Amino acid sequence: MINNFRRIQPPVFPVEKVVIPETLSIRLNNGIPVYVIEAGTEEIMRLEFIFRAGQIMENLPLLASTSNMMLSEGSENYSSEEINRAVDYYGAFFNLSVKRDRAGLVFFLLNKHIKKILELSHEILFHPVFPEAELYSLMKKRLRWFLVNREKVQNLASDVFFESIFGMDHPYGHQVIEQDFEMITRALIYDFHSKYYTIDNMTVIVSGKLNKKTIELLNFYFGGLTVNKTSNESTGNLLKGSEIKNVHVNKKGKIQSAVRIGSPTINKRHPDYPGLKILDSILGGYFGSRLMKNIREDKGYTYGISSSVSSLDLTGYKVISTEVSKENCQKTIDEIYKEIRLLQRIPVEKEEMNVVRNYISGEMIRMFDGPFALAESFKSVWEFGLDNTYYNRLAEKIKTIDQDEIIELARTYYNIDELYQVTVGSK
Amino acid sequence: MVNYKRFTLDNGLRVLVHEDKSTPLVAMNILYDVGSKDEDPSATGLAHLLEHHMYGGSLNIPEYDKPLQLAGGENNAYTSNDITNYYLTMPSENIETGFWLESDRMIELDFSQKNFDTQKNVVIEEFKQRYLNKPYGDAMLMLRSLAYKVHPYRWPTIGMDISHIENTDLEQVKRFFFSYYAPNNAILTLTGNITYDLAYRLSQKWFGPIDKRHILCRNLPSEPAQNEERVQTIEKDVPVTALYKAWHIGSRNSPDYYTLDLITDILSGGESGRLYNKLVRGKKLFSKINAYITSDIDPGLLIVHGKLMKGIKKEHAEDSLNEVIKSLQNPSGIKNDMKKVKNKFESSTVFSNTSILNKANNLSFNELLGNPNLINQEVNLYRKVNPDMVIEACRRYFIPSNCSTLYYKSTRIDK
Repeated sequence: MINNFRRIQPPVFPVEKVVIPETLSIRLNNGIPVYVIEAGTEEIMRLEFIFRAGQIMENLPLLASTSNMMLSEGSENYSSEEINRAVDYYGAFFNLSVKRDRAGLVFFLLNKHIKKILELSHEILFHPVFPEAELYSLMKKRLRWFLVNREKVQNLASDVFFESIFGMDHPYGHQVIEQDFEMITRALIYDFHSKYYTIDNMTVIVSGKLNKKTIELLNFYFGGLTVNKTSNESTGNLLKGSEIKNVHVNKKGKIQSAVRIGSPTINKRHPDYPGLKILDSILGGYFGSRLMKNIREDKGYTYGISSSVSSLDLTGYKVISTEVSKENCQKTIDEIYKEIRLLQRIPVEKEEMNVVRNYISGEMIRMFDGPFALAESFKSVWEFGLDNTYYNRLAEKIKTIDQDEIIELARTYYNIDELYQVTVGSK
Repeated sequence: MVNYKRFTLDNGLRVLVHEDKSTPLVAMNILYDVGSKDEDPSATGLAHLLEHHMYGGSLNIPEYDKPLQLAGGENNAYTSNDITNYYLTMPSENIETGFWLESDRMIELDFSQKNFDTQKNVVIEEFKQRYLNKPYGDAMLMLRSLAYKVHPYRWPTIGMDISHIENTDLEQVKRFFFSYYAPNNAILTLTGNITYDLAYRLSQKWFGPIDKRHILCRNLPSEPAQNEERVQTIEKDVPVTALYKAWHIGSRNSPDYYTLDLITDILSGGESGRLYNKLVRGKKLFSKINAYITSDIDPGLLIVHGKLMKGIKKEHAEDSLNEVIKSLQNPSGIKNDMKKVKNKFESSTVFSNTSILNKANNLSFNELLGNPNLINQEVNLYRKVNPDMVIEACRRYFIPSNCSTLYYKSTRIDK
């Protein structure tokens, strides 16, 4: 009898509409845009400096990433060791990062050390000296890391996949090769930095428990810098996917193969994007997705399989990724196409629609929980010239999307003839 | 300050509650006091395989994930040598679904052959993906069995060998479950947007009726002191040669735990760590180097490992590494380093405690260690470490006869 009440799930309440705190948009004295998100209960802050200095701006592989990594390798007033020591001493954490479109610097810090961290940020971003010796040693290290990473089937598969869908001549797609590590010189870095790490190319996102002082201090360290016009020329190369849609890279001695299936697609600016996100969740975007259920939970072919849709400035892409034992590789690929076809033909059952609706609603709460998550979520719409109303549209779409629209989206965006397929492993 | 309240149900389940109204979510953590150290040496990997089986439905609920996702929840789990830990986050209005799901799978699982066979395959693929198909993926497996001869820490949670998983049958998993999964062998922690009263009421309602079980008494062989240097060399087709070293240290509750934690932070806490500065940035002997303690409950290891730069002799790299370790005993300069890593430890704790999931995790583990309030005391314990304690610990542990070394050599000509 104790079991009777255990058979029925306790009542589930629709997840309350997420309340997204306002992002305040201001400008420093010299015009640098700053987005301010007040949230959190601890005396901590996330401070991000963003530049349009991603791979899209490079005309040589590794140039954008090396320029970014060299920022903390020594400045006019600090050696590389001193920068790192100071950051650690003040209990802060920093990440330099380069993505396809943008690059920058993020600090996580205790509010009481804001002055010191702003001073260091200013040094790192605007007074790096790119010491020759540090560059030489960085490139040697990076080559070692590269050689290790290329041994991993999943890394190699991703590299080949992006080259296939975006083309070898475009910075989104070009693959790094060993010789590239010898091409980067101090002069190139210096030139890249002076072109793209500039005041009029910079945006700040600050979030945490903030006060008036925060903006005053930002103005003090960054608001007085002179604006010089950035040349915003990107490489000009066209995105052009390969003619060959099916690539296998032989890697002997591997007991598992990596699989990537996908293609370029729309990005966040397109009105269909929220719907595509929901479709992607059903297909492979969460633990209860079709691909996970079929290929992991039913057949046990893999430890994990997932699909995702991502946005870039010039385009978007979707990709299904997995690693499977080589014996089950073809069977897995067949099942992936089967699942796509099912979504194009058979309406998703009500119950499954409900699960995915509620799951994504829960995800949205997690996306706006706390100052760090808020900043990340804001950044990922700001990058596309959008604002948090994008999330309202997504929330609305979660509520209203129906089975017919899912079929329509699957037919429009998962045309199997357009999908690229990359496998890496031993035959 | 992480405030919490604690109570114990009649069946022995310990419950901790920490209220944090700044989030709309609740985190729920259930720690079972069982890990891979409790396995039979001839059938390792069982604790972790059971963790997978836990998602295949329970006595009254055919599926775990679907109702969880229906309630907007997300979950995961991990198995270590010491514990098996399950956690989820959920919008606060739906947290009762978490209680419902977790209490039912504490009672009994759906031990279907189909689920068992599938999860066995999944774990075999996990073994391949994480340990066999990646360069150096098996290094830690080898280092463990070199450092431990007797204690069950000698095998990793995934299992000693892939054949152990292949040979496991459903009966073994079942037996393991009934030997260790019970309210009196678990710790439930709730953090986030939940009141103590609600947590109490729901714990009573869902976990209260579960019967106590007889838990197998833990009687692990203790690892005898190592008294001679151990060295193993393995040659494989990897891009560069790597070096792994492990020294035996004390248990998680031993008095010098924080001293050793601080020592590894001085050695490799970020890019201003001594190993990075001297050996990567300075002498350019390694492309990567890292040091840490395993934080196991029973006597653990202090591990240093790095990947060599091209053309560097391993003897040269190792001598230089030993020199850096020796430099810890030199009082000059240590004070500055100590101040730095202490500040960093403090701020890391502040950052970590902004996450309800981290707080739930830490409270549970600290309760298992016997002192949940460690979550508030650790910064002070770490701050109390002084240079004499560092020198004393270095002298005690960093001796060759206490060390196991693994050379993972590249067979490539151009290495």
